[in-house]
Amino acid sequence: MTDIAGSADSADSAEIVVAVAGQPNSGKSTIFNMLTGVRQFVANYPGVTVEKRVGRADCRGHKLTLVDLPGTYSMTSYSLEERIARGFLLSGEPHLVLDVVDASNLERNLVLTFQLLEMRMPMVVSLNMMDVAEGGGVRIDPKRLSEQLGVRVVPTVAKKGRGKKEVCEALMSTYESKDAVSDFRLDYGPQLEQSLATVEQALAADDRASGYDLRWLTVRLMAGDQEVRKIFA
Amino acid sequence: MAVTDTTDQKDVTAMTGTKRLNSLKPGDSCILKDIKGTGATAQRFMDLGLIPGVTIKVVRNAPLVDPVELLVKGSHVSVRHSEARKIEVIPL
Repeated sequence: MTDIAGSADSADSAEIVVAVAGQPNSGKSTIFNMLTGVRQFVANYPGVTVEKRVGRADCRGHKLTLVDLPGTYSMTSYSLEERIARGFLLSGEPHLVLDVVDASNLERNLVLTFQLLEMRMPMVVSLNMMDVAEGGGVRIDPKRLSEQLGVRVVPTVAKKGRGKKEVCEALMSTYESKDAVSDFRLDYGPQLEQSLATVEQALAADDRASGYDLRWLTVRLMAGDQEVRKIFA
Repeated sequence: MAVTDTTDQKDVTAMTGTKRLNSLKPGDSCILKDIKGTGATAQRFMDLGLIPGVTIKVVRNAPLVDPVELLVKGSHVSVRHSEARKIEVIPL
């Protein structure tokens, strides 16, 4: 469907593919290990030597294939890791995204969460390292956060195996729900929003933009994203 | 925020009371005013929480001076002096 999407060779169609995204050191791999146990294998993304870890998990009798994305601070196209992570998300292969957030560093981690929400994929947030956050005096209301983001938010302490069942449950509920995609929308302010609306309107009539979320495409174009520009080259 | 191209603004900074982050010493604190850069570097700065208005504390320099360790919103962030030079700050 796209130039910038990079599919990966995994999973038969009967399985639910979950992309595990998160910033470096958010405990992404620990969550991955918690959910998959030892049922995992390591490969490379096609054409590049960036490690790709794939594992399997059973949730409520459904088979899940988890793909551990490279840790990235954001989802632009500036680094190879970001291009790979984003390419996989856009490939159409993953059914769900599990965004692993370091609860003790929520503000910085939400940068990536917002970018993932802008890609408008069904998503679950794992609020990881809740013990560290609480130990540091940080109090987070997962329910309130969930309401604000429009996705399920599950507190976890992956190191101690806490939250495994709840993450599974949230993934399955999101997969099964009809309105799984959050309508969360980042407000860029009146000036930018006006320009965004103009560009989005132009893109709506452009065949090359079909298959992408127009708002996402518009924001990335406005940010000067080189990979996204290639679509219109 | 204004993300502009890197320019040598020594004279301007002398007038506005702003400094470049690389000129601060360990123990100094400041408020980020502007990022004088574009592209990957500016994006990474912002990803790491280096956005206008944020308070930065200079923790220490690495043994061979580079990089410099910063404390931003409870996170320790290390940047090269050449990159720190692109960050305009108001010393506290």
